[in-house]
Amino acid sequence: MKNFAKIALSAVLILLPTLAVAGGYSLPKHEKTVLDNGLTVVLMEQHEVPLIDLRVIIGGGAMVDGQLSGLAGLTAEALRFGAGDLDKQELDHQFDFIGAQVSSGAGHEYNQLRASFAVRDLDTMLPILGDMLRRPTFDADEFAKYQRRQVAQLSQQKESPRAVINNYFHKLLLDDHPYAAAPEGDATSVEKATRNDLVGYHQTWYQPQNTIICVVGDFKAGDMKKRLEAIFSDWDRGDSAVPAVGTLPTPDEARVLLVDKADAGESTFYIGGAGVAVTNPDRVGLQVINTILGGRFTSWLNDELRVNAGLTYGARSTFQSYGQGGLFRISTFTRTATTVEAIDLALKTYGRLWEKGIDEETLASAKAYVKGQFPPRYETSGQLAGLLGQMYFYGYGESYINDFEANVNNLTVAETKRLIADYFPRENLQFVIIGKADDIREQVKQYGKLTEVSIQANGFAF
Amino acid sequence: MKSWFTGIVIALSLAIGTAGTSSTAAAATSADDIKTFTLDNGMKVLVLEDHSIPNANMYLFWKVGSRNEVPGITGLSHFFEHMMFNGSKKYGPKMFDRTMEAAGGANNAYTTENITVYTDWFPSDALELMFDLEADRIANLSIDPGMVESERGVVTSERSTGLENSNFRTIWEEVKGSAFRAHPYSWSVIGHESDIAAWSQQDVEDYHRTYYAPNNAVVVIAGDVKFKDVKKMAEKHFGPIPAQPEPRAVVTTEPEQKGERRVYVQKASVTSPNIMLAYHVPEAGSDDWQALELLNDILATGRSSRLQNSLIDEQQVATQVFTHLPESFDPNLFMFYAVAAPDVSVKTLEMAMITEINKVAAEGVTEDELTKVKNRKLVDFHRTMATINGKANTIGTYELFYGDFTRLFSAPEEYEKITPADIQRVAQAYFRKANRTVGVLDSGEDTDDIKVASTDGEGENR
Repeated sequence: MKNFAKIALSAVLILLPTLAVAGGYSLPKHEKTVLDNGLTVVLMEQHEVPLIDLRVIIGGGAMVDGQLSGLAGLTAEALRFGAGDLDKQELDHQFDFIGAQVSSGAGHEYNQLRASFAVRDLDTMLPILGDMLRRPTFDADEFAKYQRRQVAQLSQQKESPRAVINNYFHKLLLDDHPYAAAPEGDATSVEKATRNDLVGYHQTWYQPQNTIICVVGDFKAGDMKKRLEAIFSDWDRGDSAVPAVGTLPTPDEARVLLVDKADAGESTFYIGGAGVAVTNPDRVGLQVINTILGGRFTSWLNDELRVNAGLTYGARSTFQSYGQGGLFRISTFTRTATTVEAIDLALKTYGRLWEKGIDEETLASAKAYVKGQFPPRYETSGQLAGLLGQMYFYGYGESYINDFEANVNNLTVAETKRLIADYFPRENLQFVIIGKADDIREQVKQYGKLTEVSIQANGFAF
Repeated sequence: MKSWFTGIVIALSLAIGTAGTSSTAAAATSADDIKTFTLDNGMKVLVLEDHSIPNANMYLFWKVGSRNEVPGITGLSHFFEHMMFNGSKKYGPKMFDRTMEAAGGANNAYTTENITVYTDWFPSDALELMFDLEADRIANLSIDPGMVESERGVVTSERSTGLENSNFRTIWEEVKGSAFRAHPYSWSVIGHESDIAAWSQQDVEDYHRTYYAPNNAVVVIAGDVKFKDVKKMAEKHFGPIPAQPEPRAVVTTEPEQKGERRVYVQKASVTSPNIMLAYHVPEAGSDDWQALELLNDILATGRSSRLQNSLIDEQQVATQVFTHLPESFDPNLFMFYAVAAPDVSVKTLEMAMITEINKVAAEGVTEDELTKVKNRKLVDFHRTMATINGKANTIGTYELFYGDFTRLFSAPEEYEKITPADIQRVAQAYFRKANRTVGVLDSGEDTDDIKVASTDGEGENR
């Protein structure tokens, strides 16, 4: 696919001669338009395979759920319960018949509709997707069925510690901040939601002035723009504004949330604290440092916990970023009997960031790794549509891509010291441990103020 | 699998085909784009040039998997996959990963019942280094006893985290053990826990000599490379590795199953019953295979598929349903999996599943359903071919399981020939009670549901 080209390729030099100084990769040409009703449209042509990928981002997400946790997710899911003249069965059959993939869901900050389909089905697909966004029927029977199923699935989700630990971690760190609640909600709140709640959420937030549509694939941008205008230009602008989000709380003491799963054969745990916002100017440098700590196979954490000690199948670290801040965590799992051994080794390894720091050779290796693994992240139309959606939602601009290589290259050992001091949480670490509480309770108290909850309790509160 | 680290997910079972009707796929890959050669030692190499991103990959497919094991060394194929990263002559312990990552490359590996696959993803200027790294571990692996011990811990953790987090894995292991009493598909790829603890240095060394011979491999390289460079490097690095005698063939044929078999697994934290139904079917590439693949899609791919529509939407007896039809060298299983909705008994769900399955045998499928799944295969083909990794994995899979990668491109015509009568015929042939194994996972102990009238004052009967 013609996404990223090395600057040596003549085609790129002819089209975009200035890129030679900008670094190794550049975002392919795309155009952004804002329709009169405020709808943002972003188009990028990609012609290798006869497919089109569409990504719609609607601001709000779960952070505007209010008292009904899970409402945004239910609303997004319900877009496919009937739209325009088609009922749910007809939508399902239509998409399957032409091999289209359509999915919708909610994250903390925005709702998303995604579609992937063959170019030849464009005439069929665009009007239907337009109806899903603008004229969902929210069929009452289909909603009732889905609601029952979702309540059950939220309980089933608790059967896998890995599937739920991040939700507990958000709750432990963020308390009642809008980013704290799990976007999928919990069984009790989902059970309370009514069709009217969904209609209300849709009316309030599914508005063109609050929406970005990104389309990438095998089409002509001029033609696509006309088609989108025909479908969306008479959509009423609306005036809902997503409320500003306050800063994320900073923990003032070390805490341990022990989630009891009585038949667990292993302990699954996260250790972490505050992270950074998506738009943080130092994000590229932090990505390189995190690669060294826990972002690749030879990272310190994986090397110590897995390769040297054989305590786990894998250990890693991750920054999870949102518009107004983020979380940082170390994550791994180990058999119940080695829980403390693994936590201690993870902490000791993490401490190397400050005690020993990063040397030239390791930094050079991580830079090469991050640069080498960058192009395949944006290889397909679907990946590019996702990138454009993020770029325009958070407003960070294409310099993230175009300056990526230069920013990686510019990182020095001295600069890593500053980034480590400024960003990696060192004090008041927060622990979530899911495992057999009776076997580990006494031992894990040492890491901070202990709170315990059963994994079977509703939701992720404690 | 070596690691849960890399973000690239490889579907272990790829079902690919095209309907051959697309005239828009001008830039799409054709069989002529793939160039091949075979080294004197028997190693076959397939090359696909694709200059869309400045990256390439190398996929090494070894014809060894858990089917080549015997009791006492179950799981050794997978364990061996891990040991391939633990040091060889030129690149000692840890140096394979360190060297690759410092050059911007990443890797992973996976083992199935049939094959072991090593995957390297790298910036294209690191191509020769990949050859050097791979050649060294193929020709000169050094199996360090200390590394064997720590890797045992890693694999034990991989096994237990799979069972902790995946109900599917938990049942699958039991169903295989019952459905196969003679053939080595009887045990899981990860192996029995006691075997993981017991295999010896000699076992591991023998395995390498026997199966990691160049004549037992197919290598695929796709991406920003030139065929002539690949050929020269393959001859230089892989050419000198001596061929070995053909490994001993797997001769065991599973005796015909004469009646239904049932297994039950208790896991206290399960919130509703999970069921697997497994029917013996022939191997990939056999006469009935493509009809089975299409039948699989008709039954379970997409929301309009028979099982999803009937069990989830109409009857609401399941919260999830899916199937698994793995490509295999020997006759394997066609698996159906469902999770019960709240208050739905095992018996109700099982009967609902069997009713839908038997309906195909009794009444056949419609032309519309068959057209739908053929259409989907075409679009999915383009999705797979949108990345260099999808290309490499698919080409290699076809070469191994269908004997010739060009069948990837003729598959469309072969699918076109399948009729509703073919679908009904294969359903009748394989979806029979006597050919079925049923697995149930539930929270309670497996007990008799017969009430024995107790005799007053006599206490328990035994």
